[in-house]
Amino acid sequence: MAAVYEEGISTLKAVQAEIYRDKVVLRLVQFSIVWAIVAMGAGVYISAELLWPWLDFGQPWLSFGRLRPLHTNGVIFGFGVSALMATAFYSVQRTSHVSLFAPRLAWFCCYGWQLTVLLGGLSLLGGWTSSKEYAELEWPFDIAIAILWVSFGVVFFGTLVKRRIRPIYISNWFYGGLIIVIAMLHIVNNLALPVTLGKSYSLYAGAQDAVVQWWYGHNAVGFLLTGGFLGMVYYFLPKQAGRPIWSYRLSIVAFWAFVYTYIWAGPHHLHYSAIPEWVQSLGMVMSIILLAPSWATLINGIMTVSGAWQKLRTDPALKFIVLALAFYGLATFEGPMMAIRSVNVVSHFTDWTIGHVHSGALGWNAMITYGTFYFLIPRMAGRPLYSTPLANLHFWLALAGTMLYIMAMWAAGVSQGLLWLNLDETGELRFNFTDIMAGMAPYYGLRLLAGLIFLLGTCLMAWNLFMTIRGRDPVEVSAPDVDPLYEVKR
Amino acid sequence: MLPLRALVMPRETCRQLSSSEPGALTILFRYAIWLLLMPPVFAWLGAYQFGWRLGADEPLMLPASSLALISAGYFAALVFGFVSTALISQWMATTYGANRHLGRHFAFVTMVGAPLAFASLAHLFPHVFLNVVILIPAMMWSMYLLYSGIATVLETVPERGMLMASALVGWLLVAAVSLLGLSMWLWVAGIGPSLGV
Repeated sequence: MAAVYEEGISTLKAVQAEIYRDKVVLRLVQFSIVWAIVAMGAGVYISAELLWPWLDFGQPWLSFGRLRPLHTNGVIFGFGVSALMATAFYSVQRTSHVSLFAPRLAWFCCYGWQLTVLLGGLSLLGGWTSSKEYAELEWPFDIAIAILWVSFGVVFFGTLVKRRIRPIYISNWFYGGLIIVIAMLHIVNNLALPVTLGKSYSLYAGAQDAVVQWWYGHNAVGFLLTGGFLGMVYYFLPKQAGRPIWSYRLSIVAFWAFVYTYIWAGPHHLHYSAIPEWVQSLGMVMSIILLAPSWATLINGIMTVSGAWQKLRTDPALKFIVLALAFYGLATFEGPMMAIRSVNVVSHFTDWTIGHVHSGALGWNAMITYGTFYFLIPRMAGRPLYSTPLANLHFWLALAGTMLYIMAMWAAGVSQGLLWLNLDETGELRFNFTDIMAGMAPYYGLRLLAGLIFLLGTCLMAWNLFMTIRGRDPVEVSAPDVDPLYEVKR
Repeated sequence: MLPLRALVMPRETCRQLSSSEPGALTILFRYAIWLLLMPPVFAWLGAYQFGWRLGADEPLMLPASSLALISAGYFAALVFGFVSTALISQWMATTYGANRHLGRHFAFVTMVGAPLAFASLAHLFPHVFLNVVILIPAMMWSMYLLYSGIATVLETVPERGMLMASALVGWLLVAAVSLLGLSMWLWVAGIGPSLGV
């Protein structure tokens, strides 16, 4: 009863004074960190299984084939999307000068999303799968995701609609792009005919199914793992640097160029396959063009942070952002390069691809999120970070883990590509596939070590942030007055 | 001898560099060129003698002429990488408030690259995993020299030095992955191992 009363008072106060609703933000950050540990733990476990296959103990639910989608879905949807929802809710309030629209719906998104990821993860362990990469969840979960995603959009765009300041800040364009495009991709790609509760068949057949799947798959990378996190960068980097973005005009140009270009790039996942060659060429060309908008943001980020060097003395979070930008530059260069057909013919299906994905996932997505969390939690707690030396240690562990991971996978991938394709004097393949894969064990050992180092850093962060926020609710912050020049007149 | 001094007494070397203004070409032809020659020469010798050991049972043996072509390309890529890194470093110096003397940047890149050049001795036995195991610590040593030496050698404050070093790491990562991509492209074009593509 007392809790209901307090909630009522809190709602009343928020309505009266436009107090930002940060409890839901904090809860999403906490869930995001939990998923990071669980999903990265699953990644470490399956990397150990590649060395010691007996680690599945003969249990289907512990097999690589079931744990691998748990790892990817847990990282992307559990860790990544929870962080994106948290930061979108946090920043849209502050850039609109109003509290969240439909706060109960925001809580529904928060808990509904966690429940879907949890049950979806268990269904993957139970063997339910559509077999589409990054879209493995079966139709009941697809419907739940669609409902929750639309709810996310209602809260986000509803907040923008009731904003008190006329311009829509650039971070909101990226978050808005994320919400609209992911809704479109998810619904179109998952159109299917259900036959039982746990099994459905795609509405598309053969090569069409592949094209739709990689239109989804690549743009999930594009609009979620790149566009969404760029929204994070555009809000939190200037905040951390304490200065405006270096070129606002460049950020707008980069946004539209990014949105226009990315959507075409998916077919580079299907080089030398049964899809028409002109579609492959189109995917390759658009992937290369994509470098321009990607690096426009990179330059904007680097130039913004370069003027805020004094902050490095006191703010451990900024280091993560700086490093994230370096890996963003690497990953957005490496991707277009690997999309070139004469490079892809060697690199495709090798561990180089895994290394590329992780230079983005660890070096870019995780680092930028960690930097943002180190910024957010002390401000929400209203006290300094529990331990700055621990955050600095985390930084070096994250850097070492990422570098070791990608270097091991580069070496393994190039070796695999050369050996798989190598011909003898008679024109026959020279080496046996299983022998080649057996020779990769040392690299998989290095990858396991890299994963453990990165996971250890993440656990240190979880402890550090837990000790920072322990026993506290988010500090209440009211929306400031708006300059009359930019105010929305109602 | 700059590269050797950088290995055994990096701080002292950094301090000396910060009070000198060497000529860029002097640094290039007196020190850097020898470091840049080491990896391709060792790679040629190792591959000719033992073949590429990529993880399969038998090594991949290539004709001497093919190996010479690959090593020449390797050398050209390293020279391009060295000069472009020094020039980019000089270009970045304005943004990060560092010294713009070109020779200083050539000397600094030579110093940072020295551990990797010496570790390329591992190319004498071109077993990929052995090379990875030796080159990773060498790369860490190079990164230590980069981050710890940049502020002293290029005369900027440590925080701005850290940012500049990170920007250079970004460039070096792109350069490294470009080298991989270029190798793939050349192999597919028929220079190097015989591939069924």
